[in-house]
Amino acid sequence: MSGGLMLATIAMALAAPAQQDTAYGCVACHADKRAAFVQGVHAERGIRCHDCHGGDPSAYALPAAHRGRFVGAPGKVATVALCGSCHSDPNRMRQYGLPSGQVAEFRTSRHGRLLLMGHDLDAPTCTDCHDAHTILRPDDARSTVYPTNIPTTCARCHEDKRLMAKYRLPTDQVERYRLSAHGVALFRNQNFASPTCVGCHGSHSALPPTVSEIANVCERCHILVGQAFDRGPHGRAAHAGKIAGCLGCHSNHGTERVPADRIAAACAKCHAAGTSAHTLGTQIQQRAVEATEELRSAQVAIAQLSLAGRQTGDARFRYQTALTAYEQIAQAQHSLDAEQLDDLARQVRSISRDLRGMAGVAEEQRWEHKLLLVPVWFLALASLVLAWFALRHLEGAGGRP
Amino acid sequence: MAGRFRRATAKWAAQFWADLKASTDAGLLGILRFLGLLYGPIDARLPIDQAFRKSLGYRLAPHVGWRHALGGITYLLFIILVITGVLLSVHYRPSAQEAYPSLQHIVSGVTLGWLIRDLHVWSASLLVLAVLAHMARVFFDAAYKPPRETNWLVGVLLLFLVLAFGASGYLLPWDQWAYWTVTEALNALATVPLVGGAAVAVLRGDPIVSGATLSRFFAMHVIVLPWITLALVAFHFTMVRRHGVAPLRNATAEPGRGRVFFPSHLLRSFMVAVVTCAVVISAAALWPRPVGEPADPAKLPEIVRSTWVVVDVSRALTHYLGAWGFVGFTLVALGLAFVPLFDRGPERDLRRRPAVAILGLVFFVGFVAAWMAGRQLRSGPPPEALPAASEASTPPPAAGAPLPELGPTPTRAAPPADTTRAGGPR
Repeated sequence: MSGGLMLATIAMALAAPAQQDTAYGCVACHADKRAAFVQGVHAERGIRCHDCHGGDPSAYALPAAHRGRFVGAPGKVATVALCGSCHSDPNRMRQYGLPSGQVAEFRTSRHGRLLLMGHDLDAPTCTDCHDAHTILRPDDARSTVYPTNIPTTCARCHEDKRLMAKYRLPTDQVERYRLSAHGVALFRNQNFASPTCVGCHGSHSALPPTVSEIANVCERCHILVGQAFDRGPHGRAAHAGKIAGCLGCHSNHGTERVPADRIAAACAKCHAAGTSAHTLGTQIQQRAVEATEELRSAQVAIAQLSLAGRQTGDARFRYQTALTAYEQIAQAQHSLDAEQLDDLARQVRSISRDLRGMAGVAEEQRWEHKLLLVPVWFLALASLVLAWFALRHLEGAGGRP
Repeated sequence: MAGRFRRATAKWAAQFWADLKASTDAGLLGILRFLGLLYGPIDARLPIDQAFRKSLGYRLAPHVGWRHALGGITYLLFIILVITGVLLSVHYRPSAQEAYPSLQHIVSGVTLGWLIRDLHVWSASLLVLAVLAHMARVFFDAAYKPPRETNWLVGVLLLFLVLAFGASGYLLPWDQWAYWTVTEALNALATVPLVGGAAVAVLRGDPIVSGATLSRFFAMHVIVLPWITLALVAFHFTMVRRHGVAPLRNATAEPGRGRVFFPSHLLRSFMVAVVTCAVVISAAALWPRPVGEPADPAKLPEIVRSTWVVVDVSRALTHYLGAWGFVGFTLVALGLAFVPLFDRGPERDLRRRPAVAILGLVFFVGFVAAWMAGRQLRSGPPPEALPAASEASTPPPAAGAPLPELGPTPTRAAPPADTTRAGGPR
């Protein structure tokens, strides 16, 4: 016993110089938990082991330490109640600016229903996504719920083929997300406005959107495209539940753009060739491809102007106008409004033609500079010939002895 | 009293008229005198006219030929650079904000601004070639031997000034090519032991190439270097007149037996000048220096185009021979510069001076070869850090390579993405 006490003293001396808990009995045995815990925000706020686990922190040995209102390691269901005992209390959370609806949300989620109603212990509880002891702020890059860590956190279960087989869920979501526009924006460009898993599915209330919800989920960010979509025939069909909203043409986790030259192919998935809808799709593709080409040639024209030493501020400003119209083409595609599309494509084409014209004039003037060679060499050769004759005359007449 | 004054005035007027008539003979000088430009009545008291006639009648050494025009071509190119440089300075603004726009204005807004600017660019390159050709002529003719060794060393100093002119002028366009070439050159200079770091700190004036660097380079280019050069050129020419043109082979100098300066030699000089000017104007009109993207310290350009012959040579040397190749070639050049201190014998025949001939051949042929090779690298990718550059100095952090792209950390090897599938809600 005295050996145990001595060990406990040493462990305390090693583990706890900064915190004033040298008299805290739990770390006599659970030094590893303490090391994890002190990094987190709970430790900062003065929460101690016994606030969650109960027991007697002033005792240094079993069984005295595990007496009292001792909880130990709570089970999955008990964990939800335990966390909720503080986090569902608005009066306690208000001071930290934290929401208090997580447990209520969790009950509505697929995770919560499986755990709390189905008593399925494979379903996650709070501590499966947030660590039990290392509770970090979401803006701490080490946190499991930091934006770039969320996909990995979800993948801990959702990439587990054996586990997902039980719920008949696919396991390729995270992989496809990484390659998607959203994944590239998040990981490569560190753009935290880009949605992670929880951006579309919700975090505590995690559920896949239903068919009629999909368009609304995407429209939260893609507002203008969403408005255009709602105006068009596809939007009406989506809200009637006849097509799966945006997923008719784009995929959910892959979220790839339909390239300009593949628009008609996307239409052909539902509309047979020769139908008026497919003809409209072909028309839209033609406009989009043309506008892309026009925009590219406008870029080339600006580069040419720049190389010729022209000031390109005005040209770049006009290019921005063309770019805005071009982006609006992408929106107009979603309403299938051919007239608006034609109008926007015309704007792009007109600006591009102007810029090409400016580049052409600059190029022509650069070519005209070469015409200077004609008078220069005429004068030079004439002077040389005259000088040569003058020399012959002078030296023939005894200029040189 | 009044009578005396009238008589004196009349006498003076009569004398003036007589002087004017006497000095106004037919010929070029006569016309100048008639217009009052030259020594008419003044010459009655001062013998300027005679001095002028004497100097025009100066006879050159008989062996003076076309190859002695190389020094004159160099001087003419220098004059072109001074004139175009003054014109450029009217519109150029040496600040990081205004340099690039003012350059665009010169090239596309100012009347004939493009010509002035491209003449300046091309003269700067051709000047280096002309200087080296002039030096090669002097070297192989052994014209550096006593008593002319001082003038050779002055010439070497002038070569360094030409290089300093080009290096300081290189940054002024303030486009990406200029910016990153200067950054690279300063990083390389910082690796020189002992003095490199301090020299770069003074030249750059900031942890990266910035507006402070631009001001320093501009002040060097238009104020410091021109005055030093002017003084040295004056000294160089005075020494040439004092010593005369070096004799050929083992012959002794025979002044006064060759061609007369005016008009025979002057007409020949005129022909050389006409050809030089026509060549420079042609090069400027046919191959204008393009304007790169504006300088951006945060972005490495995809290509760096070199626009000065010396940069071509340096890039070729470091690219094909490495940093030590560059150092070795510089040592050969320095050896060449100090040959006159050791090679002082009377022998002037190249065949009897094999060691000196080989040294000269290595340098001059090597320079031309490196230039040709460097032109192939003109539009290459940005200059990389020299292999030997890492230990000796700490290059500025902001001017280094861009940060590596942060990609997602794959949890396992990714199979090709299935982009055609549009999955439904799950």
